[in-house]
Amino acid sequence: MSDQTAEAVPAPVASTSQPQDTPAATTNGDAKAIKPAEDGALKKLSPAELKKQKQAEKQARRAQQKGPGGPSKEQGAPKDGQKQSKEPNQGAKNEQARPVPIRRRPSQSNVPVQKEPEKKSKKESRQAGVGLFFGHLYSQPKQQSMNGAGKDVHPAVLSLGLQYSSYAICGSTARMVAMLLSFKAVIESYQTPPGTSLARHLTNHHLSPQIEYLRSCRPLSISMGNAIRWLKDVIIKIDPSTPEAEAKRDLLEEVDIFIRERVTAADRLIRDLASTKIEPGDVILTYASSSIVEQAILHAHKAGTPFSVIIVDSKPLFEGKQLARKLANAGVKVRYYLITGASHAIQDATKVFLGAHAMMSNGRLYSRVGTASISMLASAHSLPVIVLCQSVKFTEKVALDSIVGNEVAPAEELLSEAERRELLPLKSMLPSSRNASKNDDKVAASEEEKTDTSDVLKWIEESKNLHHLQVLYDVTPAKYIDMVITEYGGLPPSSVPVVHRLSTNI
Amino acid sequence: MAQSTVIQAPGLSTFLKSLKTTPVDPSVEHLISLLKRRQIRNSRPCAIATTALLLRVVGEFKGRDAAKLVERIRQVGRRLTSAQPREVVVGNIVRRVLGLVREVVDENADGQTPTGSEAPTPVPQHDSLHRPTLASSMSTFSPLKHAAAEPMHVGVYDGNMSDSGELSRRPPLLTSHTSYAPPSAGPLVNSLFGLFSQPIDTPSATSTPSGAQSPNGKTTFTQQNLERLGELSRGQTSLDLKGEVMEGIRELQDELETSDKQIAEVALEHIHANEIILTHTASTTVQKFLMYAARKRKFTVVHAETYPHDHTATHGVLLTGKKRESHADEDDEDDKWKPLTEAGIQVYVIPDSHVFAIMSRVNKVILATHTVLANGSLVAAAGAHMIAKAAKEHQTPVVVLSGVYKLSPVYPFDIDELIEHGDAGGVVPYEDGDFVDKVDVENPLYDYVPADLVDLYITNLGGHAPSYLYRIVADHYRSEDITL
Repeated sequence: MSDQTAEAVPAPVASTSQPQDTPAATTNGDAKAIKPAEDGALKKLSPAELKKQKQAEKQARRAQQKGPGGPSKEQGAPKDGQKQSKEPNQGAKNEQARPVPIRRRPSQSNVPVQKEPEKKSKKESRQAGVGLFFGHLYSQPKQQSMNGAGKDVHPAVLSLGLQYSSYAICGSTARMVAMLLSFKAVIESYQTPPGTSLARHLTNHHLSPQIEYLRSCRPLSISMGNAIRWLKDVIIKIDPSTPEAEAKRDLLEEVDIFIRERVTAADRLIRDLASTKIEPGDVILTYASSSIVEQAILHAHKAGTPFSVIIVDSKPLFEGKQLARKLANAGVKVRYYLITGASHAIQDATKVFLGAHAMMSNGRLYSRVGTASISMLASAHSLPVIVLCQSVKFTEKVALDSIVGNEVAPAEELLSEAERRELLPLKSMLPSSRNASKNDDKVAASEEEKTDTSDVLKWIEESKNLHHLQVLYDVTPAKYIDMVITEYGGLPPSSVPVVHRLSTNI
Repeated sequence: MAQSTVIQAPGLSTFLKSLKTTPVDPSVEHLISLLKRRQIRNSRPCAIATTALLLRVVGEFKGRDAAKLVERIRQVGRRLTSAQPREVVVGNIVRRVLGLVREVVDENADGQTPTGSEAPTPVPQHDSLHRPTLASSMSTFSPLKHAAAEPMHVGVYDGNMSDSGELSRRPPLLTSHTSYAPPSAGPLVNSLFGLFSQPIDTPSATSTPSGAQSPNGKTTFTQQNLERLGELSRGQTSLDLKGEVMEGIRELQDELETSDKQIAEVALEHIHANEIILTHTASTTVQKFLMYAARKRKFTVVHAETYPHDHTATHGVLLTGKKRESHADEDDEDDKWKPLTEAGIQVYVIPDSHVFAIMSRVNKVILATHTVLANGSLVAAAGAHMIAKAAKEHQTPVVVLSGVYKLSPVYPFDIDELIEHGDAGGVVPYEDGDFVDKVDVENPLYDYVPADLVDLYITNLGGHAPSYLYRIVADHYRSEDITL
């Protein structure tokens, strides 16, 4: 576990420790200099109105920056201003005794940023197409660059946002912890402008843009929402009379305690309880990858229980691959299936362990898309379905199906590079090129090697009735779930709202 | 699907071409090797290749002895099925052809001999006595060793029966019951009852009537029967056995060609306007079905991409409207053939993991199949079970499209035997050696979908409930051919 931490943690932190120049520091200074002046005028506006205004500003700025030369600038930007984030992150290092699970996505990481601007216009056209199922979920295209980021977005948050949008930091717990850590950096470098108090100013005017930026990179996870709500609550409760340095120190401490209590300690409790459910000879089936399931399995394995694991995975993130690799390296016997083979996988399993993105108040599980199918098959085979979930992921939200609330992922992620390459030979048979004469076909055949894999995407764009559709989550009915293990113990899914109340009313 | 990269790679089209020039025996070997190497795979190509080969086999057959012809076809069929037992269609076609031969003989027998009590039954129902020995001679994992289509016996009773004395004594309900139906011996029985009684070799009093004979005696009787049958046909100089059988095989070929069209023609009865239909894999049958409906109605298709074994073909079908393999053969037909999207149908491609999430919006599921089994269940591309199950959970009707040629007289007693596992490299590329080394990667190609998850079968004969399929099996296969 410890070496894993060593692997995992540097990714977010390492980039911050690169040599930097000062320009970002000055931008930050600028932002602060401008801010108070603005504030005077804006003070009367409600937060919601403020938000709208900011969004409008941002959009305008984005439109400006869409021009040439944008991408190259941005790439420099994240490294620039990270001096400030350096210290807090290091300070947080001892806090990170628990691993921040990081899942990398092979195809995503090397997607060049330059492609982004031209894609945007297409996306809009696609929105209309996908509208049948998830039209209500498209608000704005996902941000994958720093183009539109407001000036007052903290550099640590900027880099975090990119890690979100590229799935470098993935998984709701990991995202929440990473967010809190970067907020610590934000709080660290925060200075209350004259004329306001920290309690009033920090949340509305300083944290909100950060959150807004993160949201534009990828919709907030439920756990992030819960953490933000908690943080705002803590900030509001700060006595205005406390000196700023002390208040900041208290806040940072609070954040550390939150992470320790709600994540690190909770993980340990869940892990201990869940590993007692693994009996000798069991075959544990899990879907995709969950850090807590991983911990539980490794814990049981270290305790010497003989059991094996089946991992079911699916396109396009292939998160289970990472998990399979880790478990196999730890010496666990692992079998790996894709979701098409799920009904075969389930036949050999004896228990199903699932991770959660969130537990809904009506007892339904909101998790990586495909989880519902797995639990359906498991309950059809009368296998116990056990969900491992920290109570910080419980939400008062309810959902009946996976369509009302979901996160839409860019459709072009559906086809990986290799799959696109396999489709290239189809070129001569496309309806558009079929109209061309036979001679042209031959030319096209010789050109085939030259054609880029991105052409495949273009074909899909061009065929006007063909849409690729991809969401990230689905909702598992409560009837498929036998037990939810939280730090409060094992519960039936119907107890989720009770625990949620318990855990929020401390 | 490797053969599709190069046009002239061995496959169905090269086989059909070579069949015209090469003699029969090398052709049989050729097809066996193609089947073994999976260079001909999936139901339709297998069916086409088998019929073409059998047409040659019958054409080259010398002599007029029906029994010998049956034996010859059987022998070829046995070798083909053991080459690739999971392509059940091969066996189906062989059985159909055998049935043709018997039918031709039957008709002539009926016409020529008086149907007196002494006339030998042209349908030696005891033939299935061959089963125990034959099963062991087949490849060890042949799905056919469980094979049986008990309801067939009902069909036999409908025909002319000579020794039906015991039959009349039986309660009518029992005659239709699988294990009690055969009037003679326990070993005849093909269901679970039969499994127990076979090794004992002494038919128990409960399941067999007094007239039971030992299996050995029965076998000789069967052989006598066959011989008599042969004599019979030899005596009939006017009978053009070969010609009629070949005629029948050509009809079978026609059926293979037209079955998709016939299925598609009922599309409008099943698809209403503005439906949302979920389907999977790159099945030509399904695409033609939807295409036919698209001429008159507007609807929406959600297509699960069936990763990792069929996604390339699926995307190909959606982009170009046809499978790559079929490109070489029939050019003229291809021109008419457009992707669904060009007919104005909205197609949404989803990864297989999304099936449950989307299912709440879907109001019909249309599945393609690899094989349909006699009890109404089916073997289809992996992922089909999950789709059918999710549909059941959402009370969404599941429609299965299948040509009758895919309908097999096999009863599934061991499902795993019917499932083929594919190349693990499709799931995790072998470049990832470390991973492949440590982790057991599995890639099942087919799913078994139990009959209760299916609401309707549409074949080229029309729509059927899954519980009715045994009747169609009985109509198409002779009980004596069930075990090859």
